[in-house]
Amino acid sequence: MATDVRSKEQLPQGVGRFSAGWKVFIALAFVVFAFGVFAYTRELSNGMVETGMRDVGTMGGATWGIYIAMVVYFIGVSFAGITVAALIRILRLEKLRSIARMAELLTVVSLILGALAIIVDLGQPVRGVINLFRYARPQSPFFGTFSLVIAGYLFASLVYLYLGGRRDAAVMAKYPGRLQWFHRWWAAGYEDTEEERERHHKSSFWMALAIVPLLIIAHSTLGFVFGLQVGRPGWYGTLQAPAFVALAGVSGIGHIVILSAIIRRVLRAEARITEAVFAWLGKILLLFLAVYVYFMSVELFTLLYATPEVEKRLSDALISGEYAWIYWGSVAVLVIPMAVLAWQALNRRWNVGLLVASGVLVNLGAIGKRYLIVVPSQTHGTLLPYEVGSYSPSWVEYGVVAGLFALGALLIGLFIKAFPVLPIDEGEEVMSRA
Amino acid sequence: MTKYAMVVDLDRCQGCRACTEACKIENNTTQGAFWMHVFRFEEGKFPDTKVSFLPRPCQHCDNAPCVKVCPTGARFKREDGIVLTDSDRCIGCRYCELACPYGVNYFNWQKPSEAYYSEVIDWEDADIQGITGGAIPPYKNPDLGLRYGDEQRRTAGGGQAKGVVEKCTFCVHRVEDGKLPACVDTCPVQALRFGDVEDPTSPISEFLREKNPWTLLEEAGTEPLVKYVGGKPPASHAKEIERPEVRV
Repeated sequence: MATDVRSKEQLPQGVGRFSAGWKVFIALAFVVFAFGVFAYTRELSNGMVETGMRDVGTMGGATWGIYIAMVVYFIGVSFAGITVAALIRILRLEKLRSIARMAELLTVVSLILGALAIIVDLGQPVRGVINLFRYARPQSPFFGTFSLVIAGYLFASLVYLYLGGRRDAAVMAKYPGRLQWFHRWWAAGYEDTEEERERHHKSSFWMALAIVPLLIIAHSTLGFVFGLQVGRPGWYGTLQAPAFVALAGVSGIGHIVILSAIIRRVLRAEARITEAVFAWLGKILLLFLAVYVYFMSVELFTLLYATPEVEKRLSDALISGEYAWIYWGSVAVLVIPMAVLAWQALNRRWNVGLLVASGVLVNLGAIGKRYLIVVPSQTHGTLLPYEVGSYSPSWVEYGVVAGLFALGALLIGLFIKAFPVLPIDEGEEVMSRA
Repeated sequence: MTKYAMVVDLDRCQGCRACTEACKIENNTTQGAFWMHVFRFEEGKFPDTKVSFLPRPCQHCDNAPCVKVCPTGARFKREDGIVLTDSDRCIGCRYCELACPYGVNYFNWQKPSEAYYSEVIDWEDADIQGITGGAIPPYKNPDLGLRYGDEQRRTAGGGQAKGVVEKCTFCVHRVEDGKLPACVDTCPVQALRFGDVEDPTSPISEFLREKNPWTLLEEAGTEPLVKYVGGKPPASHAKEIERPEVRV
């Protein structure tokens, strides 16, 4: 067995070696995930009466709650991962190559979470998985969210992650060990010859080019889910689709910053994930934030200057009423990081700690804004004289959402132990062989 | 061709909500579901206030937003104008509920058999069982389980399954049988009328020609088949009074 242990030690980036810290992390994530599953079983057996959602209208509730807010949020997060990965490929940003796989991984994981968040929101989940494809109607904006995003976008991202990882899989497959079968399977005969590398490079490049328009469409349709509804004040509008794309960029880049910083720390990869990487991420985050804050300001000024009567009740609730604390809280956690990032950009000095803090804050802001898109238009946006409704999520909903986050952590945690999360560079390969 | 429509005469409606009751019994709808709801609302500032009534069934729109957004085609519009839900196909995403500006959709938040006023009625009680024979709800309309129309889809009545959306069907099971919808049949003052508007000689067509009908939320562009005569649409500041206090 001695040779087995030594060969495992040779695998780069801690793949296949389970440290105590990692085990604790996985155990915690698993416990939270298991709790989420338990919460969902309550919903499955007793019906969605276990959630805080109720019918709009006479029942005075909101029929979409934090589940849909999280669908929008998770799919938004996926946006940035694949954008960054594709940009690195298309613009040949060699310096940033180290975070490409991480970004792809983030996209795949958050898309899976987004899909699951849709499933848990369905009254008939099993039927949903079948009928959404069997009777798919492209005329419904929901088609873009589910059928297109899951079937098209998730598949494309998986293929992209797979293609990008094949060379490293071929390298890893040379080492004996428990995971060798997995790396062999991933490499699928790839041997890293000159010709293969060229062909691979080409296919990945075209794949990247194809993914960018696909993802703009997918995220716009997510905005259309709300933006095309005339009958709901606060939803109908042209700005919905582009604002969704912009906020998706904000939350996703924020996540990449957080993930890069964690992996940099854990793998002691300061030399691979350099300050320059964070500087670039900081600038992109600042750009997306600026665009989104601009959209947000335009929307606010429009509401303050002249509000159509039917929108008045809603905008009052948002700006000075029941939802004001979420509204202004989200504005604060979006604007403050923007100022901090701008200040760092002007000084040309980037602090990783501040960047991570900004990443966390903008994600809280993104969740808040998603919630405000989904819920208030239902409780305060009825056009007939229904009384104002109310919605507060139940423990089941909080449990399921926490479980989804934990599942994401679990998937990422397992992945980094099964596959090198940073692309293996030539030096590392030689070193670990030696 | 036939095209069914309903006319609500607000000059006659007295807000008695008999239609609401008839609908609930006919369609076996669950607790908190009001396919036919009658708004009692107040307008104006004290002391110049006015109380009005407004029955609100599903509007069976010609340009129905719920049909447009349904991701599976469970919500569909028949040739004769009736908008229905296929309870075998609905996945319970509740998008129709949000697309509809009238708020007519109701989701089955729990198993229908557990959602028939069990908080106020003890169905297990021996005295009650003596009357109901153990059936929940006590009168179960046998027509609701059948399939209707050219499509032969299961579309009639409420309480079909947990986790699907249901709404007013214009009592499709009665209409196919040549009867009037339950609410129309029950209304003690003939405030509700129902018939074929494509037939120029039908009573409803003649009635509409005499009056000056309007539709609810015309600006939403939904082209409802439920027309209103007399009265006027509720003002945007109208406040609902005496609303049913139910939240499952």
